[in-house]
Amino acid sequence: MSRAGDVARDALQAALRLFPWPTEAGLRRVGSPGPESPVLITGNYDLTVRRLLRALRGLDAWVVVAPSSGINVWCAAAGGHLTTHQVVTALKTSGIGSHVHHRRAILPPLAATGVLGREVSRRCGWKVRFGPVYAHDLPRYLAAKAHKADDMRRVRFGLRERLEMGAAWATPTAIVLGALAALFSSSWVLPVIGLTAALAFGVFLLYDRIPGPRRAIFAGAAAAVALVLAALSGGGPAALVTAALGPVAVTALLTFDYPGSTPIEGGSHFEERRWQITLDPDRCMGIFSCWEVCPEGVYEKRENPRKVVLAHDERCIRCGACIVQCPEDALFFSDEKGARIEPQTIRRFKLTLMGQRTIDSGEAPAEASDTA
Amino acid sequence: MSSLALMRFLEAAPHRYDAGMRLITLGRVTLLHRLLAEVSVPRPGAHVLEIGCGTGAVTEQLVARGAVVTALDQNPEMLELARKRLREAPNGSLTFLESTAAEIDGLPEAGFDVVVASLCFSEMSESERAYVLKAAFQRLRPEGILAVADEVSPERPWQRVLHALLRLPQAGLAWLLAGRLTKPLRDLAEEVRAAGFEVRAEQRWLLGSLTVLQAERPG
Repeated sequence: MSRAGDVARDALQAALRLFPWPTEAGLRRVGSPGPESPVLITGNYDLTVRRLLRALRGLDAWVVVAPSSGINVWCAAAGGHLTTHQVVTALKTSGIGSHVHHRRAILPPLAATGVLGREVSRRCGWKVRFGPVYAHDLPRYLAAKAHKADDMRRVRFGLRERLEMGAAWATPTAIVLGALAALFSSSWVLPVIGLTAALAFGVFLLYDRIPGPRRAIFAGAAAAVALVLAALSGGGPAALVTAALGPVAVTALLTFDYPGSTPIEGGSHFEERRWQITLDPDRCMGIFSCWEVCPEGVYEKRENPRKVVLAHDERCIRCGACIVQCPEDALFFSDEKGARIEPQTIRRFKLTLMGQRTIDSGEAPAEASDTA
Repeated sequence: MSSLALMRFLEAAPHRYDAGMRLITLGRVTLLHRLLAEVSVPRPGAHVLEIGCGTGAVTEQLVARGAVVTALDQNPEMLELARKRLREAPNGSLTFLESTAAEIDGLPEAGFDVVVASLCFSEMSESERAYVLKAAFQRLRPEGILAVADEVSPERPWQRVLHALLRLPQAGLAWLLAGRLTKPLRDLAEEVRAAGFEVRAEQRWLLGSLTVLQAERPG
């Protein structure tokens, strides 16, 4: 695809990021890969696949695109669209086995909520390991013979990610609300679109940066400044309303969580937050798969005895990756009253659109296979 | 309504799948399950492999006709519902496996009289379909039957246009609600032949957008 076409597609996909955009699952070649070249697995979200292929430019590698319903890796893994099954399917049906001599594949660690490495290995003989979180770290990771530096482990939510999420929410909401406004009066369209965009970008830029008690002061001050600016620039009543409401609405929206859109919890109304990640130190055998996949750096490794500790559990965002991966079932969610969500439940039942588990913690899961 | 696009939405929520399927096919899905089971069970005791059993609607019909069924699905929530539906099944007549279609390659070769697949090939990529069809061929005894029901593009141009128009809003809704998108299959019969089968019969339903296809592994 041409450079301009690529940029246009990037922009369109960034704007429509909340919606799936599937690309054909199967095998892709980067450069001139041979039988010893690395094998990388990802989901079939078009933007992800194109970014991955771009990040690998100049290298020789195989990319196996697994069918994740056109959804990005993290959301698909958490929502049950990129699980062990899709990875096994891709490894078996893409034909990669006939192109390489080895059976080692690299997965993005954000797939760890859905994909169980040892289960992939049992089902199709491939050994998977979790590489860097971001595709742009892959060349460095591969050059270092699959050694993962510490700065490749954490999910970031910097300016770029905040702007991307702002655009992803601003575009569809502005289209819908702008169209609704047009039904009433054409003069409402631009203010509504402006307000929507201000809300979307405002929320994601300020999210978690203004702690609770200061939010009211912030809202008042920002609204005053915006009003003055709007008045001085000679804006009409619509502009003044937008200026006054924008900051207030942004502040109100800052009190919510946006699971699925941010890797942080900055709001205050999140029911799931009563579940705390809990470690049973007696079960921990020092395998460190939790440390390997945690995107927030919650765990630290200890020797003598060789065990993991929950060094920064305040950072935990309840993605469940560590629980899914722990071969000793040493990790689970528990609440203050002592209720537990067991590892089997986390493995089998995925998060819904609203970030919640779809079944009660009390329900006993059945065996994976049985005869009626 | 002629489109199965909304099925993707239903699959995202297994507990409403059955009721929803009856609704969007105007009740005909029950007929479809019965027909599929009829063409799939040549005699009581036949060994049937069902790919993508979902909530077990077809499985139930197969078991009722005396088949010995191995039913697989990759969705644990769907399987849970299927187990509940079939808890009365006679002992030894039914095995559930949580597994993908591609994993049927691990089942015994020539171990089945029939392979059934209802509405699951249209969810697969082309390479996956080719792999699964080939693996299904190897699972069948000579003269074994492959019975498939799935969403296809209608054959006649006017039907294709009408189908596309009817399908578009539903597909859009399903995409928004469930994040699922599938393409109707272009030429399922050709893909089935490419895997070595001989197509014996094909019936079209719902404006030609749903096919019920029967093929045989030559003896």
